[in-house]
Amino acid sequence: MSTLKRNNLASYLLVSPYILHVFVFVLFPVAFSLFLTFHEWNIIGPMKYVGLTNYEKLLQDQYFFKSIRNTLVFLLIHIPLQIVIALGLAVMLNQKIWFRAFFRGSFFMPVVVSGVVITILWQQLYGYEVGTINMALNSLGFEKVGWLIDPVWAMPSIAIMATWKNVGLYIILFLVGLQSVPRSLYEAADLEGATSWQKFWHITLPVINPTVVMVMILSTISGFSLFIEPYVMTNGGPLNATLSSVLYIYKQGFFYYHMGYAATLGLIFALLILLVVFIQRKVIEKKQA
Amino acid sequence: MCFGRSVSLLCTVLFFLVSCGKREQESTSLVFWSSTNSQEIDFSRKYIELWNNNPSNKPIVFQPVPEGQSSEEVVLAAVVGMTTPDMYANMWQGDVEDFAQSGVLVALDSLEGFLEFIHARCDSSVVKEITSQNGHIYQIPWKVNPIMMMYNPKVFEIAGITEVPDTYEDYLEAGLKLKEKNLMLGISETGAIWWQRFFNFLPLYYAASGGMPLVENGKAIFNSEHGIAVFAFLQKLYSSNFFSRENLKGQSDPFLASKLALTFTGPWTIEYNDRFKADGFEFEFAPVPLSDTSSAPIYSYGDPYKIVFFNTCRDPQYAWRFLKSILTAEADKDFMELSGQMPRRKDLDSNPLFLSYLESHPKLLPFAKQAKYVRGIDSQTHMKEVLDLISAEYEACVVYGKKDPRDAIEDAAKAVELLYIE
Repeated sequence: MSTLKRNNLASYLLVSPYILHVFVFVLFPVAFSLFLTFHEWNIIGPMKYVGLTNYEKLLQDQYFFKSIRNTLVFLLIHIPLQIVIALGLAVMLNQKIWFRAFFRGSFFMPVVVSGVVITILWQQLYGYEVGTINMALNSLGFEKVGWLIDPVWAMPSIAIMATWKNVGLYIILFLVGLQSVPRSLYEAADLEGATSWQKFWHITLPVINPTVVMVMILSTISGFSLFIEPYVMTNGGPLNATLSSVLYIYKQGFFYYHMGYAATLGLIFALLILLVVFIQRKVIEKKQA
Repeated sequence: MCFGRSVSLLCTVLFFLVSCGKREQESTSLVFWSSTNSQEIDFSRKYIELWNNNPSNKPIVFQPVPEGQSSEEVVLAAVVGMTTPDMYANMWQGDVEDFAQSGVLVALDSLEGFLEFIHARCDSSVVKEITSQNGHIYQIPWKVNPIMMMYNPKVFEIAGITEVPDTYEDYLEAGLKLKEKNLMLGISETGAIWWQRFFNFLPLYYAASGGMPLVENGKAIFNSEHGIAVFAFLQKLYSSNFFSRENLKGQSDPFLASKLALTFTGPWTIEYNDRFKADGFEFEFAPVPLSDTSSAPIYSYGDPYKIVFFNTCRDPQYAWRFLKSILTAEADKDFMELSGQMPRRKDLDSNPLFLSYLESHPKLLPFAKQAKYVRGIDSQTHMKEVLDLISAEYEACVVYGKKDPRDAIEDAAKAVELLYIE
């Protein structure tokens, strides 16, 4: 065997675990899901070919459209809140302040704590009768708010909690971006007599724009996968106001065992995410150009 | 070196011998899974030991259902992995038809002596309730936990309520009187999860309709005047603030704290209350309300759990022989004593064996009487989804008052019927 062939064989052998992984855990599930969309299957019984029935059912499914609407409401609250708070805190933590390392660590702490633990903690905070927030509001003379039991408040409450949990990660990303802003630009602005706001608006923000774009895309994708929070806190209620798309797909698949229909919902939802991220990128790229 | 080799060889031979022995034992024994409830474990262990002590009996291997997020998920995983036990004694009635239609359960009516036994144990309405759509029977009615109204007589007394309310009208009057005293009438599950309807809509619907099913042959039955009346009544309780919208978990039990007068629950609460109540705290049980109590009897939901045989069962006829030994009157009495749950049999309130026990445990007596008039879940597929769809409308109409009861019930019925379209 020539050296070239031997080298090629070695290369294939070295990449084979990854290729195997892609086949088993990526390509096969995708192909199987696609196959499932044309079938009815409850896991325990035999599969039944149903043609396009699952797609027809989806078009008439008011809960799926409601879940998409809910997910979009969540994103509309969560993404701007996440970016503003993360950027504000990152700017603060980029200054020479007391206990800077402590604050950086503290803000990151919720990111590494289990989502279930955090949702249970926030459930206690959001309780109507004995929740900490309502008790504080009551003691200040305000009316109690049905954070998780009022359909108007439930999704914003979850969005606030999700922001609190994830903000630490985005602070770190913004800090990296902020530290890459050349000092000379600020010095030049100082010489010109620019205010702090002008420096932020005309120097910091344009330079860290790629980071803002990245944070926006990352939080859009993670926001679309909203599941643990409504699953633990509200189970999609009240009045399905917190029924996210992933929670709905999970219920169809692993609660009612409509595997074919769940696969159909999953496929359409994945295409939707792809479309939103694609539009987001195009808009941002156009603005940058 | 030589010694080391000899030890390795000996270990290998021993390993194979032990493995073969185990396989031999597994092939001749039958496996029985119970629930993870400690009292049921004690009961099953006791009777399986008794059975196994007889050397002429084929051994039964006992195990509580393995731990998981829920026993349903564990059983499903076992079905998929073909590792189901021969017998399983904790299947919710609403799941039986789904498993039966998928062909993973043994049709018990094909076993010798089964039909005679079931007709001797249960009345015809129970036999009808457990008969599958295909005419076979896949479940053995074992235990029920009737849902009843639990009340605090002292709280009623404070509000000047002298008679225990039993009609919708009585409840509303009582709610008003209690509100004047800054007390609440009651509490019930408010979420939109299927099982939460066991404690409000379902018992009240069965009471109002005299035990009519929810679904029959793929058609919704609950969209009747009975279903609408129950929604309207419960909606009134919430809109008048007689019932709390919050489930009040996370604070001390509001019933034991005497903050409210009543709730709907099963016999398992007796032990809980006895353990946690303050000195002098009293509680009693009564049937759930209905619009007009003149038509007896009053039905309720029975929360029945069943025994089933999976199709992996190596000897169903033998499994049935064993099972009959834990379904005798003596065993049922033992079960009632150990667990406080009601065996599902027609002579519960007439057999002296049970009566003597119930007389010494008067709190259980109302449940034993109610056990004769309970309904389980219809022998239809998709029953969890049916209850979820009703729950979604229940939440919108009853708890939040966003929908008219008639519209809510009709919308639930339409959604339910979509499930059964082929």
